[in-house]
Amino acid sequence: MFEFFNQPEVIKAIVTIGSMVLFFIGLFGLLTRKHIIKVFISIAIMETSIFLLFIGLTFKLDSIAPILDSKHIDILVMNDPIPHAMILTAIVIGMAVLALGVSFAIEYFKLTGKTDIDKMNEMRH
Amino acid sequence: MSSTLFIALPLLFGFATPILLKFGKNGVAYASMLMQLFLLYLAISLLSTTSSYIEIISIAPPLGISFVLNSASLFFVLLFTLLVTLFSFYYMVHRKTDAYDNETKFFILLNMLLASSIGLVLSSDIFNIYVFFEIAGISAYILSAYKKTPSALEAGLKYLLTGAVASVFLVFAIALIYINVGSLNLAVIAQSFELLPYNIKLLISILLLVGFGFKVEIFPLNFWVVDVYQGSSTLVNALFSSIVVKAYLFVFFHILYLFLPSGEFSVFLVYLGAVSMLIAEIVALRQTNLKRVFAYSSLGQVALLFTAFAMQNEDAVQAALFIVLSHSIAKFIIFLALTSIEKEHKSMHIETLKELSSPFLRVVMLVAMLSLLGIPLFSGFIGKFLALKSFAVEGAFTVLVIVVVGSLLEAIYYFKLVGFMFSKDEKREELKISFRQKVLFGFLASVLLLIGIVPMTISNFLLDASSTMLDSKSYITALIGG
Repeated sequence: MFEFFNQPEVIKAIVTIGSMVLFFIGLFGLLTRKHIIKVFISIAIMETSIFLLFIGLTFKLDSIAPILDSKHIDILVMNDPIPHAMILTAIVIGMAVLALGVSFAIEYFKLTGKTDIDKMNEMRH
Repeated sequence: MSSTLFIALPLLFGFATPILLKFGKNGVAYASMLMQLFLLYLAISLLSTTSSYIEIISIAPPLGISFVLNSASLFFVLLFTLLVTLFSFYYMVHRKTDAYDNETKFFILLNMLLASSIGLVLSSDIFNIYVFFEIAGISAYILSAYKKTPSALEAGLKYLLTGAVASVFLVFAIALIYINVGSLNLAVIAQSFELLPYNIKLLISILLLVGFGFKVEIFPLNFWVVDVYQGSSTLVNALFSSIVVKAYLFVFFHILYLFLPSGEFSVFLVYLGAVSMLIAEIVALRQTNLKRVFAYSSLGQVALLFTAFAMQNEDAVQAALFIVLSHSIAKFIIFLALTSIEKEHKSMHIETLKELSSPFLRVVMLVAMLSLLGIPLFSGFIGKFLALKSFAVEGAFTVLVIVVVGSLLEAIYYFKLVGFMFSKDEKREELKISFRQKVLFGFLASVLLLIGIVPMTISNFLLDASSTMLDSKSYITALIGG
């Protein structure tokens, strides 16, 4: 039975389904939660699910690390480094944006004491 | 001389600020203006080159990143450097009475915004576009919440939340593109995009539309714009509506023309833009706050730009570039004039315009508003007329009617505002406009009049820019050689 789960297609299918479930959990949290920090955490969950999807779908079984040296010169058996570089950049950017957002929320809370996004209506229409 | 100077110099300025602070507290402002003047001179000197100029960053495409400076990108680079130079000039003139406490940070953010907007326009690698997308976003979020009052912080929070959600969808789209195509270079993706199965093409297009749609302010996704404009300080609104939105529009349509040159989804996009414009103008009629009125008007004009770009033929894109030029300059004038009004009268209700006592400012705002409406003899007329003509030539009469109705609605509330400005009520004592501010506003208003009276001076350049923007084959050939 474990041979069934070791096929690449099945692994990729499981990763896709899992990360999409995580994406929709994050989307549900973004749409229904009222506390500003919970909204930020939901956005973080959505971003994490996309990173997981991407790394999972570009994974190659039985491959070695993409480092060229005197002993390893066969490129075709190496893993692809571009997705990892992209996702590292995207993780750092996502973390920076969320840190900025949390600092705005902290400043706002210090000034007005509100954390409920429904009650944040300083601008009356 | 290389086009990376446009991106590297403003960012380098940020790192050099501790050195510049030694020259006194105005050192940062003057140095920033000098650097932006140098970039403007560089951009103008590039006008004489006719072919596209490709800048390779250490590894040639398709493996590496390159910046492509063709006439379409050059138009936007010129526009952005000119507007940011004038903005720095206005900031130095304006800040005496409404001083931001620490203007070093403001200039660093302004230069980051300039560098990332130019990077968006020049880049030819989709992940590089994502990185510049985020840098521009972060500078805009901080600029929006700069004053740290509750409404400014709320505006910054709302902007940040929508921007973060937009970037999630954009990363999803880029991930799917890389998994299916295998490369991140726009030219390589453009070659293989049409051959993908229809379902994946549709999914990637929808994700790109949602990801960019938040920033390009089309109908369901522009709920954040008006609150952010109202909460941020009025100076920063000028930057948002003139520079940031135009950069995102260019990138979205650049990618669309490369990936879908046969115009598969363009009918849907054209109707989406037309409906956005109509809804924005309808809601604008009921507003009583000056900043909100101009924010809704900005939404309507950007939706018109979206419609014109989505038509995907040369005349429509030339018209769109005309509208980009006249809308950027007109909104720049209006929001900078609003800063003087806000400083003097402290309220942003629309009836405040009745108390506007400076005749110079009234005339300048009148010129800007008439240009936005599309009155002949002003620059906005040329753009709107060419756009409507291209709709009629293509046979898109429903869209033409929707756009005309939107323009009429816009005229209703603009003429109401003009009536307030020139009403005969008791005016308070004369609002002092300094000579330097008069020079700035006079220069911009005369540019609007000049382009309106003799559009032939730039119409060839804009036609060349529009055909370069639509010509995906020569872009691909120039980057990876057929």
